[in-house]
Parts: sequence; structure tokens; C-alpha cells
Amino acid sequence: MTLQGQQTVIDAKQLFASKQEQEWIELAQNGDRQAFQQLYQLHIGRVYALCVRMIADREQAEDVAQEVFVQVWLKLDKFRGDSKFSTWLHSVATNTALSHLRKQKNWLQRVFSLEEAANSEPVINDHPELSDLDKTILRLPEKARLVFVLFAVEGYRHEEIANMLDMAVGSSKSHYHRAKKLLQEWL
Amino acid sequence: MKQTMNEQQLQQRVDELPSEIKPKRDLWQGIERAIELKAQQQQKPEAGNSKTRVINFQPLALAASVVLAVIVFFNYPDAQQPVPEQLTAVEMIEQQYLQEKQNMLVSFGKPDLTKLPNNIRQQFDEIQSARASLLEALEDDPQNPDLLNLLKWTQNQELSLLEQLYSPKWQTI
Repeated sequence: MTLQGQQTVIDAKQLFASKQEQEWIELAQNGDRQAFQQLYQLHIGRVYALCVRMIADREQAEDVAQEVFVQVWLKLDKFRGDSKFSTWLHSVATNTALSHLRKQKNWLQRVFSLEEAANSEPVINDHPELSDLDKTILRLPEKARLVFVLFAVEGYRHEEIANMLDMAVGSSKSHYHRAKKLLQEWL
Repeated sequence: MKQTMNEQQLQQRVDELPSEIKPKRDLWQGIERAIELKAQQQQKPEAGNSKTRVINFQPLALAASVVLAVIVFFNYPDAQQPVPEQLTAVEMIEQQYLQEKQNMLVSFGKPDLTKLPNNIRQQFDEIQSARASLLEALEDDPQNPDLLNLLKWTQNQELSLLEQLYSPKWQTI
């Protein structure tokens, strides 16, 4: 098959996948759980990747990924198709993960001292499924990790990240710079 | 001496990161159960499992208490039989909190709170001490809305602490 032919096949497959996804979305919006399960199967990998990178804990990331899909099910009627479903799902996942981290932080601050909480390290050996770079990202300090994941991996802008993390744009850039330097040192 | 990676090399590694990572366990079952529970709650607010009832008990109990108080208040003058002593706002709030705490502990299998680690035990003691101080202040000023709100907030802190310690995770719903 020629290169042009291969591209046509790829385009056709993408078009079919996109139409199939749209059909599942509409069915799920009407309460069809099997269709929603198909959406789950299609997107769980990306959602979990985001959760584990942001939260740096496998079990908590799994819980948050579950919560993301429960939230999506509950909010599905609000999805109007103005953006891609994956983009919308991703923003729900990011917000759910951040909300989890905030709650977790409050909880840790209440039970332990702030210093202890800040020094707690993720159990990186518990992630055999992760690449070396991922494992190293999990070792980063929380703010630096979040900024790095959102900026370098997920493609958010510093302005968006600053808004999400309630910090100045300059701070987001500075955390990103710090994360890069640490990763360059450690890798 | 170990040579550090340059920015371009790092960027290349980042670009090669997998966009998907599969979780170790199947998360769908927990999601489906949670969705089922939410649906049951919407259809029959009084139904649902014990955990859900515990979590949502407070607003329901508060609403029920208000309705009960209103009924008692309007029927009191016509009552022929002796009416039980009317509860004060503080008593109602306390009663509701104790009931909710009891339900919560039962649903968590009656854990032994005396065996908690010291730092957590200390948190409980501090909350209890704050609650006792507020109850004392409310004896002098039983209708003070700020004190009543603080009392409710303090009770919620304890319940929230209990929930975070013992609540089952999604997969066990």
C-alpha cells in the first residue's frame, strides 16, 4: 500500500473512532451505562496517567480516577460538545486531582505538622508500571511536580496553571524551572 | 563526575512519556457501584447503604429537627397530655451530632478510638475540648448564633476526622 493509501486508512479509522465515541457519549447522556463503560475503557489510561503523575501515589490515584468518572457521569448532561470530550474529561480529571490534593493537604496538616507533611515522600517503588522518568517526576516536590506535569506533559499554559494552583504566573514558571533542574540532575 | 542531562535531552524524554498508563486494578466495578448508589439516592433519598446514610444524615436530620420543632411549637397550646420538655437549639444540635457519630461508628464496625496513635488521639482531644468550651459558653448565651455555628463546625470536624480514618474507599462501596 502506498503512503497515501495508508494515510487514508488511518484517517478513516480516526473518523470511525470519533463517530463511535460521539455515539457512546450520546447514549451515556441518556443513561446508558454500557456506553459509559466504553468511554471509560477508551479514556482510563490517560486519566490514570494524569492522576498518578499529579498525586504520586498509586492507590490514591486509582481512587481519584474512579472519582473522576463518577463526576463525569454526574455532569455528563452538561457536556454540550463545545470542546472535545477528551479535553473536557481532562479538565474534570485535573480539577478532581487538585481538589483531592487540597483535601489531603488539609488532612495532613491537621494530623501531622506541616513540615512532616511536606517532607513525606511518595513510595516510588510501588510503581512498576511507570517509566524511569515518571518515577523521577514523582520524587519532585509537590508544587514543582504539579507545574511540571501540567505544563510539560499535559500542555497547559503557565497562566492556566497559575489559576488552577492559585499562584502567580511567575511562581509557576519558577517551579517549572526548578523541576527541570532537579530532573536534569537526577536523571 | 556524572554529566547532567541537557534541556533538549530532557524534553525528548518528556515527549516520549506514554500518554496512557493502565491502573493495576479494574476500576470500573467501583465506578459502577458509586453510580448505582447515586442513582438510588436520587430515586429514594431514604434508601441507600449505611455509609451513604451517615454522610447525608446531617442535612436530613437538621431539616427533620426543624420540622419537628415547628410542629411541637404550634401544637403545644392545644395539647391535652403533658408534652415532653421542648429541646433547646443546643440540645437538638448535640442530640443530632451524637446520633450521627453513633451511626458512623456502627457503620465503621465500632472502632476502638482509645487505640488511635497519640497524634490523632490528640486531635480528637482538642476537638472535644473545643466542643466542651462552646457548650459551657452556650449555657450563658444559648441562642447565640455564632456559638451555635461554631459548635456545629466543631462537631463536623470530629465527624470528618472519623470518616477520614475509617471510611471505606470507593472500591469497597
